[in-house]
Amino acid sequence: MKRLSLLAIIAAVLVLGSLAGFASEYMLGIGFTLFMYIALAQSWVILSGMTGYISLGHVVFFGSGAYVFVLLWGLVPVWLGVAISGLVVGIGALIIGYPVLRVRGPYFVILSFGLAELVKNLVLINDARLYKSLRPVFGAPPLEQLYLSMFILAVIATALTYWVRRSRFGAGLRSIREDEGAAETIGVLVARLKLFAFALSAIIPSMVGAIFIMRSGIFQPGDAFNPIVSFTMVTMAIIGGSDDAPGPFLGVAFLVILQELLWVNWPEVYMIILGALLIGFVLFMPTGIYGWLSERLARSRQNAS
Amino acid sequence: MLLEISDVQKRFGGLVALQGIDFSVEEGETLGIMGANGAGKTTLFSLIAGHAKPSQGKITLAGQQIDGMRPDQINALGIARTYQIVRPFRGLTVLENVAAGALYGSRQEKDMQRANDFAMEILSVVGLEGRTNDLAGNLTLAGFKRLELAKALATGPKILLLDEVMAGLTPNEVNEAIAIIETCKQKYSLTVIIIEHVMKALMRMCERIVVLHHGEMIAMGAPDKIAEDDAVIQAYLGAEK
Amino acid sequence: MDIFLSFQLLAAALITGVLYALISLGLNLIYGTMRLLNVAHGDLVMIGAYVAFMAFSLFNVGPLVSMFGAAVICGGLGWLAYRSIFQRMLSNSLLLTRLEENSLLLFFGISVIIQNLVILFFTADRQGYQYLSEIIEIGDVRLTTARLVVLIVGSVISIAAVLYLRFSMFGLAMNALIQNRDASAVVGINVDRVQMSSLVIGFGITGLAGALISVMEPITPVMGFPYTMSAFVIIILGGLGNIWGGFLAGLLLGFLEIFGIAATGPEWRSVLVYGIFIAILIFRPQGLLGSGKAAR
Repeated sequence: MKRLSLLAIIAAVLVLGSLAGFASEYMLGIGFTLFMYIALAQSWVILSGMTGYISLGHVVFFGSGAYVFVLLWGLVPVWLGVAISGLVVGIGALIIGYPVLRVRGPYFVILSFGLAELVKNLVLINDARLYKSLRPVFGAPPLEQLYLSMFILAVIATALTYWVRRSRFGAGLRSIREDEGAAETIGVLVARLKLFAFALSAIIPSMVGAIFIMRSGIFQPGDAFNPIVSFTMVTMAIIGGSDDAPGPFLGVAFLVILQELLWVNWPEVYMIILGALLIGFVLFMPTGIYGWLSERLARSRQNAS
Repeated sequence: MLLEISDVQKRFGGLVALQGIDFSVEEGETLGIMGANGAGKTTLFSLIAGHAKPSQGKITLAGQQIDGMRPDQINALGIARTYQIVRPFRGLTVLENVAAGALYGSRQEKDMQRANDFAMEILSVVGLEGRTNDLAGNLTLAGFKRLELAKALATGPKILLLDEVMAGLTPNEVNEAIAIIETCKQKYSLTVIIIEHVMKALMRMCERIVVLHHGEMIAMGAPDKIAEDDAVIQAYLGAEK
Repeated sequence: MDIFLSFQLLAAALITGVLYALISLGLNLIYGTMRLLNVAHGDLVMIGAYVAFMAFSLFNVGPLVSMFGAAVICGGLGWLAYRSIFQRMLSNSLLLTRLEENSLLLFFGISVIIQNLVILFFTADRQGYQYLSEIIEIGDVRLTTARLVVLIVGSVISIAAVLYLRFSMFGLAMNALIQNRDASAVVGINVDRVQMSSLVIGFGITGLAGALISVMEPITPVMGFPYTMSAFVIIILGGLGNIWGGFLAGLLLGFLEIFGIAATGPEWRSVLVYGIFIAILIFRPQGLLGSGKAAR
């Protein structure tokens, strides 16, 4: 059974990857968005799903990665620029993570939001100082390459979440989520693990941001640090399930379809539905669709035995 | 001696919670701590386990001073505690709860499979082997208590601090609990310090008992001597029920 | 250096400070009595502003009158929220735990819904209106009459509210609840009624502040958010649940903001506010006055 699903996954990966070769521009565009949000949601899960430190400002990594990339544009080869963005933002996260993670619970949530806004405004001020209100990005690689790179990031992010969830590291993170004090009592190095999760969850979103800039052709702080990106990531993970890798897939699929249907003509309706979904799931299905399904499966197995 | 509490005092602002606490615990001993609610018993455990620092005095483990260390550091040195109001990891399975202790306690198990195996072993000792894949949040009260014990044991301690584990258990469950604790003590070569209100348990399990009253030690000795100690009787019968 | 001696800036700082004090009063009440962190708080300011705007555009009623209407409407929303959401929660303990742990995400969702509803009905365009816009001069200071009125009215109401909470029976009950909810029930305080009242009053005062703000600022569906952030900074700065502390912290933030911007530039406003916020949470979560509860 396990071998079959592994083969199926590998087959799916190969098929989706090779789409880059022959799919239409429109399909590649949707695929790009899909994989972008999968990569983002999985990364968010590594921090917030596993430790319970809900970050409502995760776009800060996305935007920072985009900014670093744009600053390097033309100075280094494209894909090196992407890698450097990931590295720089990851290290930045390690540095600011230490004081930031000392704040707990709802205050961390607000703090994370405030942090994103703070960085956005610093970028705005910095660019104004350099007399750059817009930073266009010309000569980016073609959509097939961007699609493929986003796809690879999504695969890596999913694999990472899958691995973390089942590792010793993940066991520690999840115990922090359940009861940080009790975790400390059984020897979990709480501060260190939180910090590592924080930095790890920053790397892929920053690279996603860099690639996103290439697709949109322009860097604007308002777009790169848009709180709606944070909000979407969070809602996708909460709807789909934030405790394991399959969760975000469900959430992303659900919301991307909804987005495709509503965003162009009725964006406010889309946002209202998103808000309502967030409220509904938080109250009634906090482990998301995947979590709920797993629980039902476990319970029916229990009843059978 | 393994654990030494030297002239320890704990103040919370103007309130003196503990004063003049001075005793030591021998390796392999089972030491009981008793006293009315508010006597300072749990505060003492918090000091030993690193959740608070003494305002005065020292706590030494095998010659090393441990007061002021963080809880995870003290756990790594071999002291594990249970909580009076249980603190299970409710969203994780019973197995995952105990395995976490094996992964991060003083054993520092790096391999997931070995951690799970050890967790299974402990779970069968405490009698939860049938519920390993249940969510911890779904257990009964007795189940929670066993889980609390299992988590502490999984960290591979030398000293186990049990804080009112028998509270709320039926007489049968108390007997089972006593049996399990004695088995664990044998199997894992533990030194046990146990806070209890359930007198039967203290009398049966302990070689020595320390009695606290309003934050001070009013008696220390073998169970039968304590039962006849004037100060103890006055404190229990004179002051309360 | 002259800048710091400017009475013009002083007036601006006072106006901002008084409004901040008023807005954060509501948040402090709600947090203090029910431990709810309402991130939709600023949206109440927005609602109050739109009420005043509609009152003026449709009925030619000035904000000095419509502010009471805004207070009533927002207070009514508070009542509605309490009856429909919170009372139901209290009976279902599972939902209650989820509410407490997740109140932030919930209120965030509510905020998104409110803002987008307003966009649907009013469009996202800036609205505004002219009222008492003649400029008067007092010494070195030049103000629109409207701003002067806002300053006076805002000061009166905020001071009155703080005094009421300090000295009235009801205020006493609220303070008791803020300090120790369980003990309050034991001494016979009707916890349910006090909680509901704090929600109603808290929302109402915030709506009133929004009506006052509507003459000074462009009115948009997203105008509330900066006020939410500022309100959080203020209540943490002053100590959570500390009404006097919040009042003083509100004034302080107003001063910091206005003089800070004068020294650096308007684009630094967000950096200043968020920077203070982050610094407080990390370095002094018990607030400057230290007597409130710690935000950690």
